[in-house]
Amino acid sequence: MAAIRVRDLRKTFAAKRKAAGLRGSLAALWRPEHDTVQAVDGIGFEMEPGELLGFIGPNGAGKSTTIKILTGILYPTAGDVDVLGFVPWQARRDLAFHIGTVFGQRPQLWYHLPAVDTFQLFGKIYELDDAVVRRRIDALADAFDIRHLLLTPVRKLSLGQRMRCEVAASLLHQPRLLLLDEPSIGLDVVAKQRIRDTIRHLNAAEGVGVLLTSHDAGDIESLCKRVIIVNHGRIVYDDKVSTLKRQFLTSKRVEVRYAESMPAGFTVEGTEILKVGKGGYGVKLAFDTRRTPVEAVVARLAAAGTLVDMTIEDPTLEEVIRAIYETARPHAGAGDGEASAAVATAGAVGEPPGAAP
Amino acid sequence: MLRRELRFLTALWKANLQAAMEYRAAFVAQVVGMMLNNAVYFAIWVVFFDRFGQVRGWQLGDMVLLFAVTATGFGLAAVGFGNVLAMADVIAGGGLDYYLTLPRPVLVHVLASRSRYGGLGDVCYGVLTFALLADAGPSAFARFALGSVLSMVVFVAFMVLVQSLAFWMGSASQLSAQSVNALLTFALYPISLFDGTAKFLLFTILPAAFVGSVPAALVRDFTWPAFAQLAGAAFALLALALVVFHRGLRRYESGSAVRVQV
Repeated sequence: MAAIRVRDLRKTFAAKRKAAGLRGSLAALWRPEHDTVQAVDGIGFEMEPGELLGFIGPNGAGKSTTIKILTGILYPTAGDVDVLGFVPWQARRDLAFHIGTVFGQRPQLWYHLPAVDTFQLFGKIYELDDAVVRRRIDALADAFDIRHLLLTPVRKLSLGQRMRCEVAASLLHQPRLLLLDEPSIGLDVVAKQRIRDTIRHLNAAEGVGVLLTSHDAGDIESLCKRVIIVNHGRIVYDDKVSTLKRQFLTSKRVEVRYAESMPAGFTVEGTEILKVGKGGYGVKLAFDTRRTPVEAVVARLAAAGTLVDMTIEDPTLEEVIRAIYETARPHAGAGDGEASAAVATAGAVGEPPGAAP
Repeated sequence: MLRRELRFLTALWKANLQAAMEYRAAFVAQVVGMMLNNAVYFAIWVVFFDRFGQVRGWQLGDMVLLFAVTATGFGLAAVGFGNVLAMADVIAGGGLDYYLTLPRPVLVHVLASRSRYGGLGDVCYGVLTFALLADAGPSAFARFALGSVLSMVVFVAFMVLVQSLAFWMGSASQLSAQSVNALLTFALYPISLFDGTAKFLLFTILPAAFVGSVPAALVRDFTWPAFAQLAGAAFALLALALVVFHRGLRRYESGSAVRVQV
């Protein structure tokens, strides 16, 4: 039985519309006008128990709205949803005993209290025995390496430390499914990696399924086997992460800064120079990882001069989505809307989730 | 079931107290400041009754009762269900997300997630003035406790109704602030000052009479019909508040504002 089953999910919001400026405000006061925003537009997918599923998309794509419907926060406009055998908006409280949630932008730890106090409060909220709570806190403190943080008021923790405590708090009641909405938002590279490690650990150790939303493709790349990409409320891709990487995460951009000025006509084999900075100290280039490995490019750049700084970037999600549309266009032979449907169908939408990872 | 919810409520109140204790000076200042504030406000009525003796049958003793019951009722609401004064902002800012993901009744959880310890000053003020000025025995204290709790229920229910308008209006914080001021202002006036339409309004649209005068009358002279009137009004209003809140919850649109749980 699937942990999550979603069919033809739709959610519309009414958004107030007004012309710019005071005149627009006065007109809207007299005669308000509203647009209908289709936040989720016919999403459908299944997720297996214990699966690590990525759910990504640019800002406003509908991923948070979908997660909020799955947790019972929002009522959908239409569609069927089954999460662990519950319809979220009809059995919100029953479902809440079996799922954990972390919203990166909405902390659940009490800001002025040490994390351990929130853990104990959650013990009461989830109706756990005090002895069980103590044992569970002990286990989570080790798993997440937060023992030394538990007695510090949350307001004094760094964002990365706090987020580790947040994820640990969401696991106190041993949920079967964890819904993480942007857990790495605002974190630096090291903190992001620690969060990813702990999520991977809890998935392996406790078999908890994880549905992870992010606008950072790196989160999904390092954690999930299967990924769903949404854009404008629709699924545009549902397949293995390895397929996504092979097909669409193939280009990288590198920005380097040298201690000395590079000569005019500077080139690096296997890359395309995008821009040379003023004075020739900085260079921006791109390359295709299918043709040129990252280590080869790094070695060639290092050999070219004394490196002061180097940044390697993946393509943005917007670029990946554009690439997905462009790949689908020749088959669909139509506009974006039809192209997205074609890609989604070509992926794993509606197929048994076991087939995907 | 009720015991489970009470255990949960007790844990929430304990967490609120722990959070308040993190800032000891602010905690003490809030409590003492509110007691002084009430005392100064009441002093105006002492001067007034010293000059005029009585107003349409109301004397200083009646005002002591009225102030004690209203302050205690409001104080209990502020300490036990402090978010009742900020719920419209919580709704408009998408703050209900946190409560909706946890397996507890949303409304009780929201309301009790914040304690305003200025309210403890109100409770102390109410109990102390009743004990010192009302010349009360044990049975009077029992009536006082009953009247204060029913006053709190009416206050909380009315404010839930007003704050729930945020589900439809988007923002109801200004309206809520005005409603609190109006409710408390009229609750602290002798009901005998009002006739006709004004009196009708204070028993219906703005139920200030059920926050102040009616519970104060019950404390002074307990009768079963008076008790039935007050308890009936309190629980009818509470039922209406629950219906309106849960109707509104279906319209809840969440949001993306960044919040912290304090």
